[in-house]
Amino acid sequence: MQHLTEEQLVAHYYHDGDAVTAEAHLATCEECRAQLATLRGVLALIDQLPIPEKDAAYGEEVWTRLRWKLGSERRRSRVWGTISAIAAALALAFIGGMLWHARTQQTSPVVIARSTPSPAAAAAQTASSSSAVSRDRLLLVVVSDHLDSSERMLLELSNADAKHPLDVTSESRRAGELVASNRIYRQTAARRGETRIASLLSDLEPVLLELSHAGSTLSPDEIASLQRRIDSKGLLFKVRVVSAQVSGQEAVTKAPSKGMDSL
Amino acid sequence: MEMTTDLAVVSRARSGDPEAFRMLVESHSKATFRVAYRMTGNEHDADDVVQETFLRAYKQLQHFEERANFGTWLHRIAVNCSLDLLRARSRADKHYGGDFESAELAGASGARSEAQQDRLMISAELQTQVATAMERLSANERTAFILRHFEGMPVEEISKTLGIQINAAKHTIFRAVRKLRESLEPFVRSTPCNT
Repeated sequence: MQHLTEEQLVAHYYHDGDAVTAEAHLATCEECRAQLATLRGVLALIDQLPIPEKDAAYGEEVWTRLRWKLGSERRRSRVWGTISAIAAALALAFIGGMLWHARTQQTSPVVIARSTPSPAAAAAQTASSSSAVSRDRLLLVVVSDHLDSSERMLLELSNADAKHPLDVTSESRRAGELVASNRIYRQTAARRGETRIASLLSDLEPVLLELSHAGSTLSPDEIASLQRRIDSKGLLFKVRVVSAQVSGQEAVTKAPSKGMDSL
Repeated sequence: MEMTTDLAVVSRARSGDPEAFRMLVESHSKATFRVAYRMTGNEHDADDVVQETFLRAYKQLQHFEERANFGTWLHRIAVNCSLDLLRARSRADKHYGGDFESAELAGASGARSEAQQDRLMISAELQTQVATAMERLSANERTAFILRHFEGMPVEEISKTLGIQINAAKHTIFRAVRKLRESLEPFVRSTPCNT
């Protein structure tokens, strides 16, 4: 006699298989009946695993925690337009500033080059590398400041007591400003091939965004959630490392710039 | 809340009535928690999943088809949220070499101890064995099993939820049951009332 396979028994238990064939076999096969009984026994054990009983107030508790988040969602859609506008204005200001800075840096060496005996090609090359250095330096300066501010904010959050609600009115406003600049710096860093900085800013952005939508108070759950997010990505550590590296690079790029000024 | 009442409330919630959404949250929270707890095996995670489920539901309310049952739709979202959590944890376990798993086991046993206080239907030892057996299932196996066993979802629906073929879904359910049986069969034999 060909017994039912384990898979057929499972399918039969869930009424997914060929019930007629299975029933016919089970009627005559004690071994398969025993197998099915064991399977029922195992699944009955699982049915008996208790689920923590939530009291009648649970729905209300869920709503209380949720209401705040839904408020953030609604605010998010309204605020999003404003943030986009600010971000666009900052982007324009930043790019404009970079271009202006590059142009002013380009003019003086060329003028000097005309009065010196060195070849014009060499002067142009010097001017070009000077403007690149200036742009790099500018990026490093702004990112360095940005990382300092972000680090302070992450530190405050990491050290917050997750047992009590936290008033984050000013932090939330600051985070909103940081989100807008973070986005611009991330895009600029990515374009300039600064993948390390771009990647860090990319990790930083969701935390800043969440905090910017936090309104005036963070609940203990939300504090814990943000702290988990910061911890899981090692965000504070990464910010410190990249910040230190950026400061180092910034110091290096200052040297040629000073040399250029002294010409 | 009955389906017809649900539909009327959902309709109000869709038109931006927060009071209507509050009613949906309050009436479906406990059922959503039960799905989430079965999926995650941990009370704290289940609470998080409930929150995330209602947030997603709120964002997707416009996509809810009124012919459907709101509770079933919500369960589907809860399952997806839980699945995301289990998959993320599984990736983290691989990345951190099991530290997360240990933490989770500790968390799960904490949740179990609370559950034990509520209702001691089987012995503490057996509960631990059952919970451990469930934790041994992969995210897909656990989801497929819970959807079939507790939610009574057809295999076709399960395959859609998991994004796999129907045969693969059937096999995933089978694998889950086989693993559970391997772990728990000795306890069935020593527990006559369960046979």
